[in-house]
Amino acid sequence: MIETNCPNCGAPIRFGSNDLPVKVCDYCHSSVLRTGGNLQAIGKVAEVPEDVSPLQLGVRGRDGDRRFELVGRVRWRYADGAWNEWLALFDDGSTGWVGESSGRYMMLRQVAENAIASVLVDQVKSGRLIAVGTPITINGIEYIASDAKQVTCVASEGELPFHAPLGLSAVSVDLMTPDGGCASIQKDTDGEVEIYTGRYTALDGLHVTGLRSFEGWPMPAFAA
Amino acid sequence: MSDGVPVPGQPSPVPVAPAPPAPPAPPRSTVRALSCPNCGGIVNVRAQGLTVSILCEHCGSTLDATSPELQVIARANHALKQPQIPLGTRGTLNGHVWEVVGYMERTDEDVFWAEYLLFNPYEGYAFLVDDGRRFSLGIMLDQLPKTMFGSLLLLDRRPYSRFGRPYPVRVTFVVGEFYWRIAVGETVTETDFVRPGTMLSCEEYETERTWTRLDMLDWGVAEKAFGIPPRRRNYRYPAPHEPSPYKRQFAEAVVVGLVALFLLGMVSNAGGHEQQIIQLTSRVAFDAAGRNVVIRGIVLPAGRSRVAIEADAGSIDNAWVNVDYTLTNEATQRSVRSYTTVEHYAGNDSNGAWSHGDPRDEVALSSMPGGRYDLSVTLVAHRWNRRGGDSVPTTDEERAFFAHRSRDPGDRIATTGADPGAATAPVTITVKRGGAFGGVSFLAFLMIVAWPVIVLFKHFGFEKRRKAPGYASDD
Repeated sequence: MIETNCPNCGAPIRFGSNDLPVKVCDYCHSSVLRTGGNLQAIGKVAEVPEDVSPLQLGVRGRDGDRRFELVGRVRWRYADGAWNEWLALFDDGSTGWVGESSGRYMMLRQVAENAIASVLVDQVKSGRLIAVGTPITINGIEYIASDAKQVTCVASEGELPFHAPLGLSAVSVDLMTPDGGCASIQKDTDGEVEIYTGRYTALDGLHVTGLRSFEGWPMPAFAA
Repeated sequence: MSDGVPVPGQPSPVPVAPAPPAPPAPPRSTVRALSCPNCGGIVNVRAQGLTVSILCEHCGSTLDATSPELQVIARANHALKQPQIPLGTRGTLNGHVWEVVGYMERTDEDVFWAEYLLFNPYEGYAFLVDDGRRFSLGIMLDQLPKTMFGSLLLLDRRPYSRFGRPYPVRVTFVVGEFYWRIAVGETVTETDFVRPGTMLSCEEYETERTWTRLDMLDWGVAEKAFGIPPRRRNYRYPAPHEPSPYKRQFAEAVVVGLVALFLLGMVSNAGGHEQQIIQLTSRVAFDAAGRNVVIRGIVLPAGRSRVAIEADAGSIDNAWVNVDYTLTNEATQRSVRSYTTVEHYAGNDSNGAWSHGDPRDEVALSSMPGGRYDLSVTLVAHRWNRRGGDSVPTTDEERAFFAHRSRDPGDRIATTGADPGAATAPVTITVKRGGAFGGVSFLAFLMIVAWPVIVLFKHFGFEKRRKAPGYASDD
């Protein structure tokens, strides 16, 4: 863990993980890039708009027997809505993403690019969208493409593995299996293809604590 | 929405470190009041950040909730009808508090129904579907049902069978907020799969396909949760996934019926094995004055019992005996009368040998009160001889029989039998009591069986209506 000050505004900032190079300053919303011992403010990001997500930075949870803390968030938008991706930092230093869309959650972890056939990687790289309904095998498991869309970054906060400025665009393909498994194939602005696999889960399946409380709404028993 | 106002709970920019820890912010309300850019009315946004479309409840304009200033997508200026459960109403269903955030009416061009969009910040969304009669609670599936053979689906190891064909569903009315872009007229293709109590509904719209599981709520549950008057129970137009109310009734009727049948058997059995009280044989002269026999001291037990009297003129041939019974209670002198005819005719004609009649017959008197009885039996015997012509059958049946035989030219009477020329006929009278209740038992059996049968037919009728395409219109 590194505690330091924002090179832009001087407010204290904290890097909880050595492997996450970007931290969005809580005060001035500068995106601070850390390379070795050097800190550099590489631009401002938009403040995350107010929403009624029960998640927030600092929420702790458990995926199976592995504990995590939510340390960052990217909010993405597409033509028909927006959703959050929360960066989960596990106790072993690895990371995963908790996707939050329309009140539904999924826990995803990145897998190697060679987990899918290289022709598919090439197809995504070339910008041709994968048709909904296409079966895609990832690490031997067959998924069905359920959604494919162009997305842009709305805002970000906390610690992140990359700089997420307003307007950062990507291609996102969602996939599902019959038994609640899900996956996501994304192409970022640099043309890199990233593959994530995981499963749909209810919030109580993540054993979360430290949820936001809302006036007039009872905190669910699982998070109390 | 980022509107320049500092968000509570977040410190304002401070260039010096470290800042003192901010006191915990009070919990924020999930409801945020904005004003409609078209009519200026207050629009309460209840699922900020998730809501995509808002239909202003004052003017009906469609607003884009993903734009900070609620851009107007479709302008409208008309008063909207209010859903039966008003927007913003909270209620508890299945242990979770839900808030009504949106309402839409949809049709398959045959029937109309309403869908409430429910929201809870920790549970996400649910649908409350109101078909006008009953409510179902819908949750979007995060898994795909497995396709079995044919049109059968498997979800959580339970089979669902397809109900009808895929059909278009059109939105006819919308108000409130939704997490997708919604518009009146929007049409999706829906396919339903059902098992009693649950429906899996697949909606396809352009490239998206979503699955929802609808669980039918018990009568009155949703009404109570959201404070509206309870619906009246009726099963005339059942929903496709409505469990038959008669299934359980049938099971109950069968159990009750089996118990009743068992009891009936016990009672009938206890009512007694058939027991012979007395038997005597009397000889009666043919074509002479009748003979009267009186049997005294027939004792019937207390309560009601059955008495059977059998007359057996086994050896008569081409003759009949009229038998009259009078059973008189010695104490009350009340009597019960009955009669029978025993007869037997035989011969040969062009068609070969023939015979007719039964020389043995039993009459049963049920529900006789207990006590001592006298049985008076009057026997009158007649011989039937065509050639003799001196003995004419007296009953209609005998006359008809006689006429029939007379028309047959090849008819020839042959007297056979043990004692063709005997002047008297022996008639054996046997008195028995108890035994099966006969008619009474059978009636009881029918009454016991009637209930399960009626319920079963109601069940079949319900299932037929349930499977009928769409809801039948009033007859």
